Amino acid sequence: MSKGEEKLLNEKTIQENTLSSRDYKYGFFTDIETDSIPKGLSENTIRLICEKKKEPQWMLEWRLKAYRHWTTMKEPQWPNFQYGPIDYQDLSYYSAPKQKAAGPAKIEDVDPELIKTFDRLGIPLTEQKRLTGVAVDAIFDSVSVGTTHQAELAKVGVIFCSMSEAIEQHPDLIKKYLGSVVPYSDNFFAALNAAVFSDGSFCYIPQGVRCPLELSTYFRINAAQSGQFERTLIVAEDSSYVSYLEGCTAPMRDENQLHAAVVELITLDNAEIKYSTVQNWYAGDKEGNGGIYNFVTKRGKCIGKNSKISWTQVEAGSAITWKYPSVILQGDNSVGKFYSVALTNNRMQADTGTKMIHIGKNTKSTVVSKGISTDESNNSYRGLIKIMPSADGARNFSQCDSMLIGNKCSANTFPYIEVKNNSAVLEHEASTSKINADQIFYLQSRGLDLEGAISLIINGFCKDVFKELPMEFAVEAVKLLEMKLEGSVG
Amino acid sequence: MITMEEKKIPLLNTLEKHCEDLDQNSTSAWFKTLRQEALARFLTLGIPTTKNEDYKYTNLSVLSSRHFKPVTKAALPTDHQLSKICSQNDITLVFVNGILDENLSSYHQLPKGLTILPLEKELSDNGSSIKNLLNQHDLTKENRFTSLNRALINSGCYLHIADKVIIEKLIHIIHITQCKESGLTAPSTFIVVDQSAQATVMETHIGTANNAYVAVAATEIFLKNNAILHYCKAQSESLNAYHLGNTRVWQERDSHFDGFALMNGGEVTRNDLDIVSNGEGTSSTLNGFYGLTGKQHVDNHSSMDHRWPNCTSNQLYKGLLNGESHSVFNGKIFVRQIAQKTNSYQLNKNLILGVNCRVDTKPQLEIFADDVKCTHGATIGQLNEDEIFYLQTRGISKKDAVKLLAHGFVQDILEKIHHPAIIQKLNILLEPTFAALEE
Repeated sequence: MSKGEEKLLNEKTIQENTLSSRDYKYGFFTDIETDSIPKGLSENTIRLICEKKKEPQWMLEWRLKAYRHWTTMKEPQWPNFQYGPIDYQDLSYYSAPKQKAAGPAKIEDVDPELIKTFDRLGIPLTEQKRLTGVAVDAIFDSVSVGTTHQAELAKVGVIFCSMSEAIEQHPDLIKKYLGSVVPYSDNFFAALNAAVFSDGSFCYIPQGVRCPLELSTYFRINAAQSGQFERTLIVAEDSSYVSYLEGCTAPMRDENQLHAAVVELITLDNAEIKYSTVQNWYAGDKEGNGGIYNFVTKRGKCIGKNSKISWTQVEAGSAITWKYPSVILQGDNSVGKFYSVALTNNRMQADTGTKMIHIGKNTKSTVVSKGISTDESNNSYRGLIKIMPSADGARNFSQCDSMLIGNKCSANTFPYIEVKNNSAVLEHEASTSKINADQIFYLQSRGLDLEGAISLIINGFCKDVFKELPMEFAVEAVKLLEMKLEGSVG
Repeated sequence: MITMEEKKIPLLNTLEKHCEDLDQNSTSAWFKTLRQEALARFLTLGIPTTKNEDYKYTNLSVLSSRHFKPVTKAALPTDHQLSKICSQNDITLVFVNGILDENLSSYHQLPKGLTILPLEKELSDNGSSIKNLLNQHDLTKENRFTSLNRALINSGCYLHIADKVIIEKLIHIIHITQCKESGLTAPSTFIVVDQSAQATVMETHIGTANNAYVAVAATEIFLKNNAILHYCKAQSESLNAYHLGNTRVWQERDSHFDGFALMNGGEVTRNDLDIVSNGEGTSSTLNGFYGLTGKQHVDNHSSMDHRWPNCTSNQLYKGLLNGESHSVFNGKIFVRQIAQKTNSYQLNKNLILGVNCRVDTKPQLEIFADDVKCTHGATIGQLNEDEIFYLQTRGISKKDAVKLLAHGFVQDILEKIHHPAIIQKLNILLEPTFAALEE
């Protein structure tokens, strides 16, 4: 196939995509030479990954330990959704675009095809076009293809690089923190990730630094029949601050692909991490064929006093979303926050929520979750608020609201509240309702069309969450929801 | 039928033998089948462990370790507190160890349309009415302790209110357990309210002294079209007892169930309330209060299943925790796809006064219809310091202030009860809970 034909085909796919599901414009596939390993998972696969990535011996041992533990574990069966069995031997655990030249990757050396891909996704990697104020680490299948603004960040001492680079250049930090929040024995998918994770982002903010840029990782799954297993680790030293964004897309395919990532956040005294996600993996077609299984373990640990971690997520993609970004509030006076909008349409399924574990004194947590389900989708909120006996004066406020559009969808709430300290004050409230007909009528009487009215109401419904997102992301999130809802209402 | 490991559990081991004994004394063939099927179901399900999601916070391992034997007929000691809660104005039925005590009961001059039968009598007439009623339920999904109760069914009470009859008097059913140690009782109650009839029923479970026993209670309630039932279950068992209760309510079109549950006795209590709304326009109220002291543990599970459109349900459970007590609340609201215009409300409030208390609460919504309004909430907190301070400035001691505010917390929900006689009885049963506040 010549380059011209290929281009035409790709353009055509985009058009088809626009027509067929109108809402997934990132469903194209980049035809690029890849370096992937054969399907299957065994100790040899892990050795092969290590070899490819030229990892030190301690890393290999860590991975093998995780793998051996994984083989003893059973896949959990408790979630409130169904998915076909995953054959872990039928996946390729490593796929990377072929590198043109050996040696450390510089943005200039990156395959132009890749740069074009990211341009089309709206993530410019080349220096002159970069978004001002945001540093990006772009991850394509199993590897990081480039990290921008590294030099600028290095001036203030911030380390922002791919995980592979970090293992090579900052082994002490990795040894100290990797797996300290989500140990490999934590759960089935975390163990699998620890064994085979291929890349991810590492971010280290030194003492007293307020990170001058927003940091961001963009995940792209491209190769077929592979899984993406990346690992993100963010460490914020005393009195530092960072805001971190994460975005994700994948091509449209008929088979399901597994994405099992692990994200670990660590804050020391007075530090703050703000982590925002706009997740827009391919969600499958109207009949529920294809799409990404997004089984992610995200957890933050407020080790230091007065530290703060906040998770904000807009979940608009994936055939199945199954994740509970959590915060362990260990330091006294630490604060955990969780803001989430989960939109499901067609036959998407979401089982998401948060866990707040209060250990330190006077710890506070806030949970705001908004679920919107349309078509034949299923949307569940599952959360745990746990107050340990040591957490004197703990405070929690949770609110989870669901909105149902259409009579074939469902919304569920499973909040667990466990209190073992008598000085705790907790409030939990949840509601489920239909979109208000009076409000729609009122807006229509003011000249808005039905879709415009619904979009405005949904926007208001999710406002509490959107206002927590960084500005550019908030705009994008609003647009994303509008696009997703188009055609599914009325 | 039971595995080798379970053979070692004395309770399961003797259960089969005991059921056979019961079978030999009964005449009805259907009755025997009921018992055998229930026993099979219970043995398949077994005694739950905390790994079972429904029993996550309630440890019932004592059922496996201690040898509980079904209780037999016994005479009450003279110092029982029965007289305090019995009144001449009510229709009273007293069961001692599951057997109706004619001397303590007063149910002979019944108003027209009200039938009260000891279960033995109803069952000896083939139990046809009960048979039809029980068949409405999906037995495969039955609660394991309801099955255990059925396996041991022998005596109890059958109550029937005929078409368009309104019973003003309170019908009070008292189950009192008297046994030295490790007894097992299985009180059963059946209440059927026919079309457009109305009644008020209170079911009280008490024990004598501080005996250790297990009461596996099951109550079946059937409300026909347009029927109204005010129902109160009061559980004030002995402080060393285990109470495993299950109340099932079946509601037909436009019926109204107004339920209240008081739980302040027993060492470990597990109470399940399952309501099925099987007709349009039903309304259900599920209120409750639990007052715990010492090392008491109470686990309230409720399930509200909306199967038809235009129904409402309202639930408020309040808890007062003192000492080192532990409370569990799990409220489920199901709204089926057809059940449009459902309006469902659920709230659980916990007031913690003790230092080492534990609260696990899980209000749960599962909704498959879109035109509904469902809300739930849960709060856990302490008394307001400002309120205590205000009362202190008016010359009230701190202890009295705490007591006063705790009373207010309870009174608020007691006031929602329809029949004054019930409120009066509940206040008597609540005395030990408030006495503990003074310590």
